[in-house]
Amino acid sequence: MTECPECAASVESHDKILGEVFPCPDCGSELEVLGTEPFAVQPAPKEAEDWGE
Amino acid sequence: MSNGFSLGVFYTIIRPEEKAILAAAEARGVAVERIDDGETTFGLERPAHLPSVVLNRSVSHTRSLYATRYYAHYGVPTVNDPEVVELAGDKIRSSIRLHERGIPTPRTVVALSPEAAMRAIEEIGYPAVLKPAIGSWGRLMAKVSTAEEAEQILEHKAALTSPLHSVIYVQEFVPKPDRDLRVLVVGDEVVAAMYRHSAGWRTNAARGATTEPTPLTPELTDLSLRAARAVGGGVLAVDLMESPQGLTVHEVNPTPEFKALAAATGVDVAGKIVEYAVGVGRR
Repeated sequence: MTECPECAASVESHDKILGEVFPCPDCGSELEVLGTEPFAVQPAPKEAEDWGE
Repeated sequence: MSNGFSLGVFYTIIRPEEKAILAAAEARGVAVERIDDGETTFGLERPAHLPSVVLNRSVSHTRSLYATRYYAHYGVPTVNDPEVVELAGDKIRSSIRLHERGIPTPRTVVALSPEAAMRAIEEIGYPAVLKPAIGSWGRLMAKVSTAEEAEQILEHKAALTSPLHSVIYVQEFVPKPDRDLRVLVVGDEVVAAMYRHSAGWRTNAARGATTEPTPLTPELTDLSLRAARAVGGGVLAVDLMESPQGLTVHEVNPTPEFKALAAATGVDVAGKIVEYAVGVGRR
């Protein structure tokens, strides 16, 4: 478990993998898994202009 | 499946799609090398160690363009090929190619400056749709119904500094039901298709469109395969609309998202993509 860097809510690691992007269950901010052992997250990269499918 | 074979997964972020791809590879015993597109460098000399094939899942069109070109330079096949990334990742090039191949596609006119764009819009007629040449998820698209609206949008575009926004891609607005179709093509196979419903005119899943499976009619299958082949083939999402004249292809996406499609159809899309990429790597 770690803290959301945006709202400080507890965030569970569950089966998340390195690099995975997921929303904070509390504030909805997009977070990216920085490490799994120990579990650490950072704000996910912001969408760039050339991003897409 | 070892023998030194490995699947490189080139990515920006790990979304449900990339997670499913990694799981599908693991389930098939395929060794995976994760390649973070923000951490990688490319030199002119071939590196000593490279994966057997690279599956491009970068969300950045720019990074995809250069990375696939470098892997091709090193002799490593990529899914998709750099030529496919260049073509399908650019709406202008895609439109030209679809038209050249006789595939129904909405009328488009391109203006190379905001000043010329009014003429392009008048040529298309109202309502018209303005799209960025690069990018997706319905971002920065605008539907203009009057000259006044068009002038306002173009004024905003003229204020943006990126040269990308100086190129205005104008497309006819296709009167369609409140849905479009998304078809996923993997190699020579149409693996799944769905309707995307939306009360608004944009039907991107990223914009909250609801989805349901679409029957794969011979017409839909044939047109989707032709569109995918037109841009060079590989793993491609073909987007179609039901126009009064019949099906028309408005986009072919080279790095498709498929979470909604897999959920709507129950098809193991990630597994299909992994198996295809492994096949490309073993050719």
